Amino acid sequence: MNLISKLTLFITLSKLAIVLLFVITLPYLIGGIARTYTDYYLRQQQEKVLEVVSKNGVESYLQGEESYGSYTMLKEEYISLEPVAKGLTIDTVYTDQRIIEQDTLNYRVLTYSFPADSGTYMMEVGKTIDTIDQYNRPLQRIATYVLLGLILITLVIDLFYTRYLLRPLRKIINTKIRNRKFPFNENSIPVKTSTTDFQYLDNSLIGLMQQIHEAFEKEREFTANASHELMTPIGILQNKIENLMGEPEVSELVQERLIGMQRTLNRLKRIVHSLLLISRIENEQFSKKESLSVTELFADVLDEISHRLNEKEISLETSISNQIILININRDLLFQLVYNLVNNAIRYNKANGSIQIWDQLNSDGSYEVSITDTGIGIPEEEIGTIFNRFKKANQSEESAGYGLGLSIVKSIADYHQIKIDIISEISEGTTFTILFPKELIGNRD
Amino acid sequence: MKVLLIEDEKTLAYEVEAFLKKAFYICDLAHTARKGLEMLGVNPYDFVLLDLGLPDLDGLKVLQEAKKLNPDAAYIILTARGNIEDRIVGLDLGADDYLPKPFSLLELQSRMQAISRRKFNVSTHELNLGEFIIDLQKRVVSHSGKEIELTRKEFDLLSYLLLHKNRVLTRMQLSEHIWGTFADDDYDSNYIDVHVKNVRKKLSAFGPVEWLETVRGVGYKIRN
Repeated sequence: MNLISKLTLFITLSKLAIVLLFVITLPYLIGGIARTYTDYYLRQQQEKVLEVVSKNGVESYLQGEESYGSYTMLKEEYISLEPVAKGLTIDTVYTDQRIIEQDTLNYRVLTYSFPADSGTYMMEVGKTIDTIDQYNRPLQRIATYVLLGLILITLVIDLFYTRYLLRPLRKIINTKIRNRKFPFNENSIPVKTSTTDFQYLDNSLIGLMQQIHEAFEKEREFTANASHELMTPIGILQNKIENLMGEPEVSELVQERLIGMQRTLNRLKRIVHSLLLISRIENEQFSKKESLSVTELFADVLDEISHRLNEKEISLETSISNQIILININRDLLFQLVYNLVNNAIRYNKANGSIQIWDQLNSDGSYEVSITDTGIGIPEEEIGTIFNRFKKANQSEESAGYGLGLSIVKSIADYHQIKIDIISEISEGTTFTILFPKELIGNRD
Repeated sequence: MKVLLIEDEKTLAYEVEAFLKKAFYICDLAHTARKGLEMLGVNPYDFVLLDLGLPDLDGLKVLQEAKKLNPDAAYIILTARGNIEDRIVGLDLGADDYLPKPFSLLELQSRMQAISRRKFNVSTHELNLGEFIIDLQKRVVSHSGKEIELTRKEFDLLSYLLLHKNRVLTRMQLSEHIWGTFADDDYDSNYIDVHVKNVRKKLSAFGPVEWLETVRGVGYKIRN
């Protein structure tokens, strides 16, 4: 759930909760207010009565009777006076039932005793609370409607405002995070916003991207420079040897020596080439926007490598049955990957051995191609390390493998998120399986 | 043919110069981009060999400038930077070929020959070899009007040996030319021998091939 949805949900729920709470507490609230007001009203009535009594004496009420009682026409209020035991003091306000002319009514009653003339009298002033409750229900309903209306309005305002407020954030996410590809080559445009937090976030992101980009460029520059520094002297030596070999007076013996030097130099050249290639792959200097058909890929590799098969008299059986198009890959790198694996299958094969290449589409949408040879095999304890640089599959073998072929395979595979599985049995053969994740599989023909 | 080599690495430049002179090219050297452009402004050249990594100016800019000064020359980019983009941009800017350093001088000559054929139309396309006629343009070998079928790689091998005739080419040099970066490092293997054997077999059905010599312990050469 993103921020806006969360905020929307929170704002809506919190407002609803507040409304609910208010509607529930409304009766108590109104009741409380009404009671306070009634009590105040009763006290005022009490004051009036006491004023009359102190001015005219209690007889002005009693008129010779023993007690006095009076109520309004609708029995909403009443007043009563009666003598009580001398010295009794009562002063309370409470809710109670009174029966007036067969009607049982709920009253808020103020009871107060006071000395007057020769005795002590008790005064009761009452006001029905039914009139109070009567207003409560409609009041509650109206309050609910008004509140709901208000809340709806504020909700809409809130939502629009948060949306407006969060727009820069959304823009930052879309332009800076979601659609950016490592190593962030394009320039970042700052998002316009007056919210300082977003400005800070945006500037930090731009800064970080800039840093990554610079580091990446430095690395790239280093590779280019290293390449130049290493390749130039190799080139000079190579050309010197070539020129020397072209001299007519060079003897056969010197010629042979020169060839030896040329070989060593070539070995150095290849190692430097391979190391630079690995470093360029790891530095992501290859585009991955190409597509390639697997059948075409293997056909190209086999075309390039067939002379080696013939030389070692190795038979090859290819059965690529799925017409798979690989996408988001680099053609040259994939060629190199397959080439190195097939080349290894030839190099470490026995004379008159065979190589089988077959493919398989997996149920999870991934696709794999396996290359099985009948070669010397790899000891189990070495399988984990054969991708390491300068590691030979068989140390005793006097072949000219300098252990970078599989390292290149590994870097290319990692770069494309391709997995390489190895199953091997000593002196039986090895199977290399190239597992392409479904992200690399395009529409099938 | 006049060649201008713009290369800041002097030792390398002298080796290239020595080689080209031997191959009967007239070669001038410039060690900076400015000097090179100056020379281009004064003298007409057929070939310009341009190192991209010059210290004073950006190589690709130099190429653009040079093309303005001398649009008819053939441009070959030499670079050790190994950037694929450089290659693409270089060829887009009108370079005729691109050679990554370190390059073989034999390969350089072969590329220059190919450009000569394509661009200047001056080199003879047809060469006589014993009783055989080799057409480098159409890439066919024929004997008294009859075409002999060679594979692409067999023809490459033959034409490379022919281009550097009277010079011994090692197996390594041959395989580097034919397989490029995919040439393997097991030079003692005999696949070059297999190819040469095939060429000999195919041609000897028509006439003698004693001009294609095996130089023991070194490689092969065409004697003419």
